Amino acid sequence: MEPFRVIDCALLQKMSGLPAAVNLRELRERIASCSRNVLYHHFCETLLAPAFDYPDYRNDLAIWAKQRLGDEVLAERLGIIDPYSFSSMDDLRKIVLEIFDERLSEAEVIPSAKRGYEFYFMETTIVIFDTGNRINHPDELPTCIQNMTSSSIYFHMLEARRRPIIGLDDFSTWLQTSEGSWDHYISAIRSIDVMFFTLTEIKNELVRVLEAVQDTSRSVGHQ
Amino acid sequence: MIQALEAYEGIVGTPVIRQLRMLGEKLKGIQVTHVNSTSEGGGVAEILFWMVPLMRDLGIDAHWKVMRGSNDFFPVTKSIHNGLQGSPAFMSSKDWEIYERVNAENFEELKDILQQSNIVIVHDPQPAPLLKLCENRRGKWIWRGHIDISRPSRRVWIPFRSYVEGYDSSIFSMFQFAQPLPHPQYIIPPSIDPLSPKNIDLNESELESVRQQFKLDPKRPLLVQISRYDRFKDPIGVIEAYRMIRRVLPVQLVLAGGGATDDPEGKGVLDEVMHASDGDPDIHVLLLPSDAHRTINALQRLADIIIQKSIKEGFGLTVTEGLWKGKPVIGGDVGGIQLQVVNNHTGYLVNTPEGAAHRIRFLLQHRNIMQQMGNAARQFVRENFLLTRNLREYLTLILSLHRGETKARIEV
Repeated sequence: MEPFRVIDCALLQKMSGLPAAVNLRELRERIASCSRNVLYHHFCETLLAPAFDYPDYRNDLAIWAKQRLGDEVLAERLGIIDPYSFSSMDDLRKIVLEIFDERLSEAEVIPSAKRGYEFYFMETTIVIFDTGNRINHPDELPTCIQNMTSSSIYFHMLEARRRPIIGLDDFSTWLQTSEGSWDHYISAIRSIDVMFFTLTEIKNELVRVLEAVQDTSRSVGHQ
Repeated sequence: MIQALEAYEGIVGTPVIRQLRMLGEKLKGIQVTHVNSTSEGGGVAEILFWMVPLMRDLGIDAHWKVMRGSNDFFPVTKSIHNGLQGSPAFMSSKDWEIYERVNAENFEELKDILQQSNIVIVHDPQPAPLLKLCENRRGKWIWRGHIDISRPSRRVWIPFRSYVEGYDSSIFSMFQFAQPLPHPQYIIPPSIDPLSPKNIDLNESELESVRQQFKLDPKRPLLVQISRYDRFKDPIGVIEAYRMIRRVLPVQLVLAGGGATDDPEGKGVLDEVMHASDGDPDIHVLLLPSDAHRTINALQRLADIIIQKSIKEGFGLTVTEGLWKGKPVIGGDVGGIQLQVVNNHTGYLVNTPEGAAHRIRFLLQHRNIMQQMGNAARQFVRENFLLTRNLREYLTLILSLHRGETKARIEV
């Protein structure tokens, strides 16, 4: 079996160069024209920004709609979007623009933010590097994952979903393409709803479900 | 004392240190030079004090050069500083000449290292003209703006912009603080050093001695605001909030800050605060020396709740320090406080003395919530605002600039 290469990454936020949006109409215009990286950042990298572990919603647009526009309806519609369920950022953009248009058609007054609370369009530079660590056997997964940084977890569990095979994490993809039958591990990993966990929680949850699989195998073995 | 990177391992965990070592490995031997205008006092010197040794610990050939100023230089740069932060400022052509002359004198002294360095990081406005003077540079240059220049005086910004637009990139603490510039602008929030005298764990006897020094009653709740005496920190508003709470709860208040004696405006604010406290024995207005880091640390640890009721704020590292001590923070809904104080999680954002009084009364009646918030606050700082994160982001930027990569995704 090919060993699993543990990759780490470091992210750096930067200004996209787009003017900040003050209201929903401006937000719509900028989202229609922004780069895919900007869209990706605001939908997929919210977990990595210095922010509290439990924002109400998991993307920056929904959080801004609630906190700065005071538009709970818009926030709820944006908040439930799973960015990893789209095959491309352009498909995601299409849905987001439809939500904006629907809300603009319902609104009697265009929701606006106060001065100082505009939406700033950001993107990231990501530096990816091989840690040199290898996982040689699936049974090593819980211990190795326990020793990973949050950014490694981000890379293998979230960023992975952007790469082929689209929508899948690296751990279960490795197990799926390795010799042997690792279905219990695969289904345990895929049972984690990454949308609703912080990176630390995803790590803890991975360790927990993988250890549970090992415990079950051991107890079956003893019987 | 400067700590080696491994000293932080017990606080941030082995994987974080290992990650920094790996990034450092990719940068081994490259020359990085920081330039600023002071070797002590102020946030920039505090950052460089730990960052340069830690970069060296990682194998980077890091240097810190402090520019020399003349008597007529610093008043000019103070005007630039104020103008960039939005205060009305007048700069004559003679002022700009002084600014350029002193930078040219410094350039002659620093020429060799500035020309040779792979990366030069110029902090704040004072040394910004060095870039234009360094025609034979071989490295990449970064301008690190530590202040909020989002709404500058145009009379200062327009001439000043010509000094910074030629940099390869710039760094700001928050995206709200930046100005459009013709190069990539990165966002790196500041951080605290958990092993510095201001933040290191203190034992009970040291806490007790500070409690006794200021005659604080251990049986009654203590509210603490640490800030210089400045109207933007709203110390009078804090006293108003205290009085509203005192109608129902026997709280004590500490307002502690330093540096007011040599600051005419600070002295005036301190007088106003003394007047507002009106001899109340439970309002402790403390003027502390600039090196009273452990005393400030102890006061924050003795507090039940930390207040930072600013009406205008930069990043607000005193908030970070309070959160790190496991205390909920009642903070003004401005600047970097918004990034750190999250309603119902790490404290409450407030806009008025009434709002502050309301939230403090609620917390003092719900000790379990205070405890939960305090725990969450410390973890929040651990994950986001310690120097290891700050260092990682600098290394990431240096790595991408050094490799000349402009792509969003860089594999090394």
